[in-house]
Amino acid sequence: MAQAMGEVWGNPSSVHAVGRAARHAIEQARHEVAALVGGDVEEIVFTSGGTEGDNLAIRGLAIAARGNRVGAKARVLSSPLEHPAVRAALAELAREGFVIDWVAPDPEGRITPEAVEAAVRPETVLVTLAWANHELGTLYDLAALSRAAKRHGALFHSDAVQAAGRVPIDVTAAGVDALTLTAHKLYGPKGVGAVWVRRGLFAHPLVAGGHQERERRGGTENLLGIVGFGAACRLARAELAAGASSARVASLRDQLEARLLAIPGARRHGGGARVPGTSNVAFAGADGQLVAIGLDLEGICVSNGAACTSGSIEPSPVLLALGLPPAAAREAVRFSLGRDTTSADVDEVADAVARVVERVRGAG
Amino acid sequence: MSGASPRPRVVVAMSGGVDSSTAAGLLCEQGFDVIGVTLKLYDASGTAASIGGRCCSPRDIDDARATAARLGFPHYVLDEVDAFRSAVIDDFVDAHRVGRTPNPCVRCNERIKFGPLLRFARAVGAEALATGHYARLEQTADGPVLRRGVDPDKDQAYFLFGLRPTWLAQLRFPIGGFDKDEVRAHARRLGLPNADKPDSVQICFIPDGDHRGFVEARGGAGRPGVVLDERGEVLGEHTGTHLFTIGQRKGVPARDGVRRFVVSVDAETGVVRTGPREAIARTRFEVEDVRWIVPVPAAPARLSVQIRHHAPARAATVAADGDRLAVTLDDSVEGVAPGQAAVFFDGDRVIGGGWIADAGDAPMVDVARLRVARADASSAP
Repeated sequence: MAQAMGEVWGNPSSVHAVGRAARHAIEQARHEVAALVGGDVEEIVFTSGGTEGDNLAIRGLAIAARGNRVGAKARVLSSPLEHPAVRAALAELAREGFVIDWVAPDPEGRITPEAVEAAVRPETVLVTLAWANHELGTLYDLAALSRAAKRHGALFHSDAVQAAGRVPIDVTAAGVDALTLTAHKLYGPKGVGAVWVRRGLFAHPLVAGGHQERERRGGTENLLGIVGFGAACRLARAELAAGASSARVASLRDQLEARLLAIPGARRHGGGARVPGTSNVAFAGADGQLVAIGLDLEGICVSNGAACTSGSIEPSPVLLALGLPPAAAREAVRFSLGRDTTSADVDEVADAVARVVERVRGAG
Repeated sequence: MSGASPRPRVVVAMSGGVDSSTAAGLLCEQGFDVIGVTLKLYDASGTAASIGGRCCSPRDIDDARATAARLGFPHYVLDEVDAFRSAVIDDFVDAHRVGRTPNPCVRCNERIKFGPLLRFARAVGAEALATGHYARLEQTADGPVLRRGVDPDKDQAYFLFGLRPTWLAQLRFPIGGFDKDEVRAHARRLGLPNADKPDSVQICFIPDGDHRGFVEARGGAGRPGVVLDERGEVLGEHTGTHLFTIGQRKGVPARDGVRRFVVSVDAETGVVRTGPREAIARTRFEVEDVRWIVPVPAAPARLSVQIRHHAPARAATVAADGDRLAVTLDDSVEGVAPGQAAVFFDGDRVIGGGWIADAGDAPMVDVARLRVARADASSAP
């Protein structure tokens, strides 16, 4: 990105040489994104991130698929575990006359193909289910879910923001029709992402503007962001191919979790297969936000849920959907480990959590 | 690192205004490990009110955050929107509906601000909580001593009587010993972004100042009815008892050149009784729900009592009357309003306080006789 700032600053749509250099940089990045998900470059549309991507894919595909249908209302199927961006896009569809159906997770956060199959209707035009959950880290078997979803010919979109770069993604094997990804979840810059949409499908554009992204998303491209995104995808793909990083991160996560769960009154949220680096835990009697603040004061960054909803006293809809009472949901703390996490970090964090939890519990 | 003791940690409650920001700046300068916190008390997002505010609006939260960034200490936001709505806003609206004069700032201090903020301070390992109130607090061997701030125009001791003594032991008021000009001078010296931010006089949760509209929109409107004079004759009609408070002159129809003031408001019948100045003069009233900062004084006690902000405290004798206090002022005062806070002082020291109870007894002055006396006097040569 630093290099691009100095050398590749033209408008990618321009005729001149500087513009063409910028265009080339974007197309190289596009190639990397496509390769990461096993798709074609023509199927990638750059966006400002996951939220715009979810809106473009979900609303764009649903509206196009509904077309001029008459008769029973078109339906969209999803789950209450989805990210707020997906929920908001679905709320917009509801305002535009779609019926939204919900498939229920089990208390561990798992969604079964049987449940999906039972919930799909002939009027369902789109099913949207995340590849991995943003709060719990739960991983889903997309191939099985998409098979169940497509019995009645519905399209299948998956918010893969939490999975891309962490687990291998192959859109063909998974049987999906559209995917959302974002750069900052794979060590790329914030404010840029992409949507993969299967060739031949049309997603009605959200942003009316110029001809960029082959008329699918108007507006001068976020050149620096896209360059960074491409580089991040290339690095992630190499890492996934080498295979060692995921196992290492998962092992550290398991180590951390074992120490955290040894604290009296600790519990974990979400079970089954998970992405390697996520752990969502809670400590009874300790407000999650106060624990996060206490850890921040020790130089440790954790989260209480989607960054998009922090600062609000609303407990996480994901945890409520698992059946947790609101007070228990407010105790949740999400730890994310990654490429740079070390065993020493895990020990330091576990020690700090024990101290902070005790102090927060003692505050009354 | 041997021998170096960690800096004492203190939490500063920041409203986004220059007073609390300066308090934080002074504590930083004195070497404390400061942590700033702002309470989110109401959700004005999406409204015109979110653009500017008095306390705790999105703009104010941002001013607090900018001050913390400038001074280099962590800043957090705590959401108390639900609790504030039920304990302060609903109380405020309900009071209007039943004809009482509410005091939301005192309610907020006693029910919302200090409890959660002190818990936050304990949770982050702080030894004290500081605010930008204009008041002075001294921790003595006999317990905390709370006094008025030195600036008589800004003194906020009136609002702090409800603080429990256990809380006072953990509080600090760094700017109580300065007047407003000195505070602004410190703020400029420290380079604070809001050093010249104007003080607002609006109630914090009604930033546009439309008190009436706010109350009416939330079901706080009182009954319409009649306005009566001191003889019980009708002066006019009104559209809601919530528009009147005891001692008020505004809104009382004039007649025969006599200025009249609201003597009582009856929310059930919609009757607003008025009378001349003498009619709202009282020397005796009762106070309920009393709390003391010091050991309960032996009754009867000689204290001074303040019955509204921006009013001097008046000499009085205070005695127990069941579970209320009976207050007898040396001299009459106008506008004793049920629902307002009555705060007791010993000199400039806050002793305790409570809430003025509904008027049980009639005004001390017999207004009918007074009118006759005045008529006699005016007909004299």
